This record gives sequence, structure tokens and C-alpha cells, in this order.
Amino acid sequence: MNGNVLEVDGLLERSLRDIGIPPCPAILSRFMDESQKDEPDYHRLSEIVGSDVGISAGLIKTANSPFFGMRQRVRSVNEALTVLGLRASSRAVAGLILRNTFPYTAPMERFWDASARIANLSGWLVQHLRITGIMAEDAYTFGLFRDCGIPILMKRFPNYRAALDAANRDGVRSFIEVEQTEMPTNHAMVGCILSQSWWLPEEICLAIRNHHDLAALSSVSSRLPTLSRKLIAISQLAEYLVQQQLGLSFTREWPKLGAACLQTLGLEEAQLETLYAESISVTSASE
Amino acid sequence: MSSIDPLTGLLDRFGCMQTAAKLVADATISGNVFAVIWIDIDRFKQINESFGHLGGNMMIEDLALRFRARVGGRAELARMGGDEFVFLLPKCDRAQVQQFAAEFVSTIEAPMTIGNLTLHPTASIGIAIHESGEDALTLLERADHAMFAAKHRGGNCIVYSGDEPIPGRLGITLAREELSIENDLHTALETGGFRLHYQPIIGADGRVEAVEALMRCTISGQNIPPVKFIPVAEKTGLVIRLGEWSLLQGAMHARLLHESGYDIKVAVNVSRAQLVSPKFTEALYAALACSDVRPEHVELELTESLFMDISDIVQQNLKNAIAAGVGLAIDDFGTGYSCLANLKDIPANKLKLDRAFVTVLPEDKRAMAVVRSVTRLGHDLGMTIVAEGCENKDQIDALFDADVDSIQGFYYAKPMPEEILLPWLKTRSAK
Repeated sequence: MNGNVLEVDGLLERSLRDIGIPPCPAILSRFMDESQKDEPDYHRLSEIVGSDVGISAGLIKTANSPFFGMRQRVRSVNEALTVLGLRASSRAVAGLILRNTFPYTAPMERFWDASARIANLSGWLVQHLRITGIMAEDAYTFGLFRDCGIPILMKRFPNYRAALDAANRDGVRSFIEVEQTEMPTNHAMVGCILSQSWWLPEEICLAIRNHHDLAALSSVSSRLPTLSRKLIAISQLAEYLVQQQLGLSFTREWPKLGAACLQTLGLEEAQLETLYAESISVTSASE
Repeated sequence: MSSIDPLTGLLDRFGCMQTAAKLVADATISGNVFAVIWIDIDRFKQINESFGHLGGNMMIEDLALRFRARVGGRAELARMGGDEFVFLLPKCDRAQVQQFAAEFVSTIEAPMTIGNLTLHPTASIGIAIHESGEDALTLLERADHAMFAAKHRGGNCIVYSGDEPIPGRLGITLAREELSIENDLHTALETGGFRLHYQPIIGADGRVEAVEALMRCTISGQNIPPVKFIPVAEKTGLVIRLGEWSLLQGAMHARLLHESGYDIKVAVNVSRAQLVSPKFTEALYAALACSDVRPEHVELELTESLFMDISDIVQQNLKNAIAAGVGLAIDDFGTGYSCLANLKDIPANKLKLDRAFVTVLPEDKRAMAVVRSVTRLGHDLGMTIVAEGCENKDQIDALFDADVDSIQGFYYAKPMPEEILLPWLKTRSAK
């Protein structure tokens, strides 16, 4: 029986290498299986994470991120697990695997750098602005996963890059609408479907699905949960600040969604300047 | 400060608070049970709009008289303003308060003449029973909140505090027992509690042609049956997520089977909620893109409840699915809402005969005649026919004799998890 499980795991790992996207990576499955036990064994969890050097290093780095605000620096996987807690740790492990899943190319590196900066700044903004009803770690996870549909579509559809460029440049139509003039689907839906299979909470999945949807964010008839709206608003704000500061991956989303985001977060336009200045150190500290 | 309402002579809001505080103090000392009934007249605004405030006041005065006559000395009565009344019932347990409230429903509903019209008023009623250590204000607020819940249900009903629906995690209002199921569903979604099990479908030549993916939910080692969680999943919208999750897992598994050398399709159940959504096509393509499966290796099984109403959006979604290259199967055919018109309208390439026709075979000659005719009809429409629920060899012989193309049922195999399916297939192909 064990042999069979290993055989399936092996096939799944091969799928992971071949196509880049696992249904749910084996290391995350093992981590989740252990962490949902009544009394999870932290030593066993450390071993699972420790089986991958990249994920171990990433987890320690996550625990030392500015928004977790630890006084002492974390030095081991075990410490990182204790400091982050199981919930945040499993999300962080998922985020790290996600990044390792895709082949390292220069454009992909820039993409992940931008995602990591947005994720970090999102976590920081939640704490700095004392946004209620949302946890920094969820904003961080959302920032990492928000655009994970892009590399998948890039790999599947040769004409996706052109659609993406057009969507980035369009200052009037919604991002998704532009993408779907060329594609039968869009990166928000792909990202949502992938995140579901990686066991992210429903509010994060719904936020990924709707992160370019103005009506879902601001309409009174929208059924999008408040947490999902706040996640979208925080990450759009973080992306806007990062783009202003570093000139990375320019999009035209803030003019379309900015007002609704500020309203969702209870912020005024006038506060942006101060926020910009305060967040520079966080943005430059990322990566 | 006055404590009497000038219109009705009942206690006013202030008087009500004072009396409630006294009753709470008494209940604390004596240990007696004490209850609050909060009543709000339904559609009172329309009365005011139709008959003016004078008409509205007449109604309030009339109701106050009725209440006073009916109550006797059993409760303290108060008008909280507008069309809201509160009854404070000392020494009253849940059974008594229920009887009391039922009496008052009939008191309120008795016909009333205003102007030249006869009205039959109704009310939304909230009830709260004092809990040990609770202050008067909290108790009154609970009764008020329960009344709001009754109003939210459409009025003309009674809701007990504690029974009223509350918004769940996704903001959808749920009853208390539903909330706990929703909570379980989220836990299962976030901890890998959902798994797909696969049941083989076997052709007349003995080859495994397909497997049907069936969802299983386990929380803390306990199996939760779909009949328990599907209604809550439908109410909260989680049913779409579960459907999309199955689609991606099923598609990934189809890819895995083909990589392992098995030419086997994976059939995934698609819910009505998914197919009536304008986002269905995006989600289907997203699952195909994520899994990188060849679309012809995936089949969508269309639930029979879909056929209640096949709207334009459903038709379009089905056309898009065909264009994407996946197969379509009509599930549970022959029972419920499915009818011959569906065969004409739905572009499916497979028909799954409901188990109801199979379990009575081979003895039931009439069922046999239906199976033969539907199979012939299906073939004429270019569809292959699968029979579900086969449990013995006699049934299988009868079905293949009736020209059915393939068979699914316990006789061949029960649904099994993916780590069992691959070795099962290996053993079978070795034979």
C-alpha cells in the first residue's frame, strides 16, 4: 500500500516537473496531513519542510518579514514554525512551493519579485493602517497567489503575452475583459482554480477570482465577502505604491479601481502621499 | 420622565426598561424563568400610507385593547413606539411562552375594520428567555433581534432568540445548524478534507473505458455524507467551488492515468449552480489550462436537476464545453426531471441510465423493455449508453443483451481513492 502511495506521489512529482502545476504538491499534502492532527508533531513538520532547502530558507525568511514584527531573528525551521503558527506556516509553504514550481527565467524572476514585494507591502499595510477584520498573513498570501494564473496561461497559450500587454495598457476596459478578447479564460479564474486545489481559504480564492472586478468590489449588490474585498483593496494599493516607487510592471489598474479600494479601506486620497513615504523602506527591504 | 404611552395607556419604552430591570432582579433572587416577547406589526407602514396616521393610530389603539383584554394579569405590556409592542412575562418557561405567543397570534389576526376596509393584521414575533446573569437591556435586545429575524423571514412568524439565522463566514445568512456545517466545509477545504474517489465504467469487451469521480468529505476522520453538506454548499455558493475543485482534480487525474498508459476518461459531476453561471466556460478552460489534460479525456456528467429549466446560458455553456473538446453525459436518465425533450436539446454524447431501471433486472420485463428502447433511441441519436448501479452477473448479461455499451456498479468495483485505483487497474490489465 505504501509503495502504491509512493508510486502515485512519484507520478505527481513528475507532473509537477513536466507541466509546472501540481494538483497539490506532495510536500504541502504531507505538511497539511501532519498539521491537522489533534497534536501535530513540530519535529515531524520541521522534517517535512527541511526536506527542501529552498522552502526551509524561504520559511525562515518569511518569519523574519517586517510585518510579523518579531523582536528576535528566527534561525531555524522549527523556530519559524513556532513563531508563525501552523496556519501561517502552511500558507507560507504553499507560497514558496508556488514560486519554486515555475522555471527560473529572467522575466519570471521579475514577475515573482513584483509579487513578493506586493505581498510584503500588503502584509505591512494591514498592520500599519490597523485594518480590522483581516490578518497580515492572509494579505501576504493573497499577494503571492493573486497573479499565479499569469505564468500558467503564459505557458499554455503562445498568444497570451500579447493579451497581457494589451490588458496592462488598457486604461478603460477591465483587465479581464481585455484578456478575454484573446483567451477563453483569464488569469484571475486560473489563479482561483489553482488556489482552491492548494487549500487556500475561500475568501482568498474569491479575492483572486475577483481582483479586477470593480462591480464585485464596490457594488451594493455584490455578494463578495468583506474580507475578500479588503484583500483586493490592500493588494491594489500595495501594487500602486510599489509601481510608484520602483517603476515595476506598470498596469493601469489604480485609475480604474483606486477610488473603490480607498473606500473599502476607509482611506482618503490625501493620505496616499504620507503612506508612500512611510512604505519606501518596506518596499526596498523586500527581496 | 413619563413611563406611560399616551396613545395606548401601556408602559412606554422607559417604563418597559424599568419594569424589565425589576423583573430581572426578581428572577435572579427567585430563580424563576422570565421571558420577553417582542411584537412588530407587519406592513404597518402601508396602513399609515393608506389611511394616514389617524388610521395607523386606530389600529395601534385597537391592538392595545385586545392585548390588555387577553393578557389579564399574566404579563406587563409596553408599546416601544411605532408599531412595536413588548410583553414581559414573569415566571414563564419556554413551553408557557410558546402557548402565550400562539394565543397572541390569533388575537392579532382577528379581523379589524379601519375606514370601510376589513384588515387581517399579522406580526413578526421575537422571543427571548432570560439567561442567568443577563441584564435587562441585553435581554430586550435579544428579543428585538429575534423579531428582526422573523421580519427577515417574511413576517407572520415567531423566532426564538438563539434560533435566528446569522450571517455565516461568507456573509450568507444561515440557521444555527447550517453554520456548523458551513464551518466544517471550510475546515475540510482548508485541510484537504475533500477527496475524489473513482468508480470504473466497464465496456462489453471488459475494458475499463472511464472512471466516474465522486466526492468524499472527511472531517476529523468522520465521513460527512453529501446529503448533509450539499444543501449548505448550495446556499453559501461553496457548491461552485467544490464543483471547480472536482473538475481540476478530475482533469489532473485523467492526465495522470494517460501518463501511466491507461486510455481511460475521467467523468466529473457538474452541478446546476455551475452550469447556470456565466463564468462556467472560463472555469472549465482554467481547469483544462491548469491540468494540461487533453480535453477529450474529460467528461462532464450533467446532473438531472439541471433539466428543470434549460436556460439560454446553460445552452451556451454546454455548446462551449463541446467546443472545448470535453465529453458530455446525461446522468441519472429516466427519473426526476429528465425527459425525452432533453435528449433532443442537450448536445450530449453519453446517456447514463438511472439505477432504478437496473436494480429490478432481469425479472422486471417492463423495465427491460424501457432499457432496450432507450438504448436504441440513444444509439440513433449518436450516444453511447451506460447503465449505473449493477450489482450482479444476471443484470450485466441482461444489459449487454439489451445492447447497453458499458456498465458501472459494485459488481465490478466500488468507488476507490486514486492510490487504490492505479494498482487496481494494474492488476486488472495483468489478468
